[in-house]
Amino acid sequence: MDEFKSGFFVGGEACEGRVLVVDDEPDIRKVVKMTLQKAGYEVLEAENGEKAIEVINSGENRLLLDVVICDIRMPKINGAEAVAYFRSHYPRVPLIVLTGFPDADMATSFLRQGVVDYLVKPVEGEKLRSAVARAIEQRELARL
Amino acid sequence: MESSDHTKVAILGAGRGGRALLDLLNQIPSIEIVGIADRNPAAPGLQRARELQVPVTTNTPDLISNHGVSLIMDVTGDPEMETYLRAHKPPTADILSGSASRLLWELAQHESKLAAELLQSEKLAGIGSFAAGIAHDMNNPLQLILGLAENLAEERDLTVVHEQARDIIEAVKQTSAICRDLTRYSRRASPHEDVLVSVNGKLDEALKIARYASSFHDIEMIKHYQPGAAVKGNPDELLHALVNLITNAVHAMEDVGGTLTIETTVLGGEVGVRISDTGCGIAPDKIPEIFEPFFTTKAPGKGTGLGLYNVKTIVNNMQGTIAVDSQIDKGTTFILTFPNAEPAGQGCLS
Repeated sequence: MDEFKSGFFVGGEACEGRVLVVDDEPDIRKVVKMTLQKAGYEVLEAENGEKAIEVINSGENRLLLDVVICDIRMPKINGAEAVAYFRSHYPRVPLIVLTGFPDADMATSFLRQGVVDYLVKPVEGEKLRSAVARAIEQRELARL
Repeated sequence: MESSDHTKVAILGAGRGGRALLDLLNQIPSIEIVGIADRNPAAPGLQRARELQVPVTTNTPDLISNHGVSLIMDVTGDPEMETYLRAHKPPTADILSGSASRLLWELAQHESKLAAELLQSEKLAGIGSFAAGIAHDMNNPLQLILGLAENLAEERDLTVVHEQARDIIEAVKQTSAICRDLTRYSRRASPHEDVLVSVNGKLDEALKIARYASSFHDIEMIKHYQPGAAVKGNPDELLHALVNLITNAVHAMEDVGGTLTIETTVLGGEVGVRISDTGCGIAPDKIPEIFEPFFTTKAPGKGTGLGLYNVKTIVNNMQGTIAVDSQIDKGTTFILTFPNAEPAGQGCLS
């Protein structure tokens, strides 16, 4: 089944996938990056929805981005707007919402829009890594 | 200028009862308080009267023989006073004394309790809308703490361990500051706690609280503070009023963003506070209603309609005035003016 993995090589090391973390808090980006890098992911950062759209539209990212992890309460283009943009322009890229404010209505609406996971901060590293792995797995299955 | 429709009141006795009556009657436009008397020059009501610029005296006969007194309110609790008044009052003056004045005093006390209750309920209703902001501000540092702690369990590099331990300590401080700010804000304002308050300090405190109520993303902040702007009043109530005004300003710019400008000035005998937004503005026909109780433009369940009413009550309690200048789609400015309290340096509360 190896041919279905998205793994590619960055700087000579095996890469489990490329993840974009969208959060206005540098501390959150830092800690999420640290958590995912340990599991072999390459992590890109964006500080708001606007920057996230810039990142995904630049160069090879539109092809190689495997997962987007997105906060909701952010300046410029907020998380809800960013999610809508990603779903309509990049429906194949799985989205994980990581928010500080659990809101059942919002969670339902995101899941309905096709968001694969809705996680509430603080989330344990293991849970975050398995959510990302699951999202990538689903993406691979969708590709079949 | 003589105005015959005014009731001219003389208050006798400046203890707690006299003071409560003074505060109550002072708010009623058709009542003019011609003076307050007490044998004790240090009576709390006399102090309050000086602040309100009501004439004070220790000489009762002088006060009741004042021209045009139409009502003498005796709250001395002294049975001999009643007899004295019956014998010496001007023929045109009525007397309220004994159990009648006690009843009035009790009503005044009751009214002031209700007013405090209303302030507190509106403040607590407002705190309900802080949930999203509090969750955001607490869960972000918690995420950092959790992530770093998970890493520390395996980290071998001592430099990284030290650095991350320091980051955890900072994040814990940040989280506990949120609880401290909010518990301080949510407490009931202590009654009659009139002290010197630094307006600039209270504005900064209000900005911190208002961030929970509304998202300041996409809002540019401009602050022009005149150092030493000090007013006299209840610091908890002033904070409450400023939080309401700042929250309204930010809500007016919701979705589109804008500029929040906060300015303080000290000019002669007056301290001014201006809070301006570049938001949606208030329709000219609504402006006369905005300070009325239960007026709201917010969706049901989103506002109590008591916010600006309470702001006005608080400002007036501090002998201040509030004015508004607004243009649709241009923005709104609230202008508060207070008497300049003693200059800073006398133990200013922040």
